[in-house]
Amino acid sequence: MWFKRRNILTLIILSLFVFISMRLTEFDLSKFKDFRNMIDFLSRWFPMDYEKLPLMIQDSLETLAMAFLGSFFGLLIAIPISFIAAKNTSPSKYLFHFTRVTLSFIRSIPEIVFGLILLTALGLGPFPAVLAIMFHNVGVLGKLVSELIESADPGPQEAMKAVGAKKSFANLFSILPQIWPNVLSHYFYRFEVAIRTSLILGFIGGGGIGQRLFNDFKTFQYSSVSLDVLIIMIIVIVVDLFGSYVRNKII
Amino acid sequence: MLKIKDLSVRYRGSREDALSSINLTFQTGEFVCILGQSGAGKSTLIRCINGLQLPSTGTVSWNNQDISTMKEEQIRNVRREMGMIFQHFNLIPRLSVLQNVLTGMFGYRNTFKNLIGWFTDEEVKRAKQVISDVGLNDLMYRRVEHLSGGQKQRVGIARALLQQPKLLLGDEPVSSLDPGTSNHIFTLLQEMHNRHRLLTIINVHDFELARRFATRLVALKDGKVIFDGIPEDFKDKQFNDTYHSIKEKVTT
Repeated sequence: MWFKRRNILTLIILSLFVFISMRLTEFDLSKFKDFRNMIDFLSRWFPMDYEKLPLMIQDSLETLAMAFLGSFFGLLIAIPISFIAAKNTSPSKYLFHFTRVTLSFIRSIPEIVFGLILLTALGLGPFPAVLAIMFHNVGVLGKLVSELIESADPGPQEAMKAVGAKKSFANLFSILPQIWPNVLSHYFYRFEVAIRTSLILGFIGGGGIGQRLFNDFKTFQYSSVSLDVLIIMIIVIVVDLFGSYVRNKII
Repeated sequence: MLKIKDLSVRYRGSREDALSSINLTFQTGEFVCILGQSGAGKSTLIRCINGLQLPSTGTVSWNNQDISTMKEEQIRNVRREMGMIFQHFNLIPRLSVLQNVLTGMFGYRNTFKNLIGWFTDEEVKRAKQVISDVGLNDLMYRRVEHLSGGQKQRVGIARALLQQPKLLLGDEPVSSLDPGTSNHIFTLLQEMHNRHRLLTIINVHDFELARRFATRLVALKDGKVIFDGIPEDFKDKQFNDTYHSIKEKVTT
């Protein structure tokens, strides 16, 4: 009833993909025979060194600020664009296609590439990292929000047109309340992703706790590295909790 | 008042007219129910009256002004004189009853004021008045998604009434309600119709309901008017003509 002959073929193809990928990635569990090295390495992470804690907290705040500004400005720019990039609210068909293509173009450029390019103009520091996160989030949130707009119930839009409201305003006013909880949940997810991104951008000189982690690692200060990692984990969890709290309040 | 002349509508990609050569004139004070099977063109006719649907040929005139040739700006000025209620109520979710009703005033105010939601005490007072007129006084600050179907339609009616309309349109306003509630809603509509001296034009599935409340019936079939007159003249023959067809059509 459930199992069809075609499934066998799927299974074979899937196994083939797994096999090829394992070869390409040198996936080999027997390599774990040297896992004592890892234990040895990790043991040097403890005890944690709390000496630089105030500096780390300062850097964490910088990271949070980078992630927040980047994703928030991204959202602010993405919302108006997404109304143009949604089939049902776009002012013209050409504009719709143009913004869609532009958004996917922006999205296809990884943050780290944006970061590397901007670094040459703006120098080291968190500012180019904020811009890099912002650009990428315009692409991502623009796509996500425009899809929310397209799936919104057209009934309220029609009602707003029927009372004689201006079309653009009717769209905005009838769609935003519908999609708002989902916009927020997308936003908070992107905020969380932005924190991880800003860590990576720290590795290329973007500042924040990411850069500290990278520097501590490169200078073999493993007892600081462990604390860096712990702080990063706490930040991500706290942001996640805060996001779900806000979302529950809003719904 | 409302004059529909040679109105035809053909949707893009369709080979048949949704409406063909409709000629109808309506006067203030009439309570008109439009009958017909699904796909007969009832919704299209209603939506042509306030310009949500543009005619392929023909004209719709409101107080001797032709709506079909108007620019968006002018159509908006006409629409605000026409209240409309819908089958699925089309309220704005996550807003309260009062907030939803206030949107009925949008056509009279500038966009900036609408955007920040600034209303005068006078406007809020009027909104509260229509809410109590439709009997929702206790639910004024309740969010609309927590209301029952009948209550939602009352909000829809209040929103339409706040427009101070001269014409009230209804696109199957009771088709998703139970018979008892439908009756209540029609009673309310009749009361408001009489109190505000409106022209009311409503699509109905339920023939009994239409006969009880309407002062005039219009029956559509395959986009053409096959009956137009007082309910007393709508007999078995007309009923059969309206609701029974030889070929069962598949329509959306």
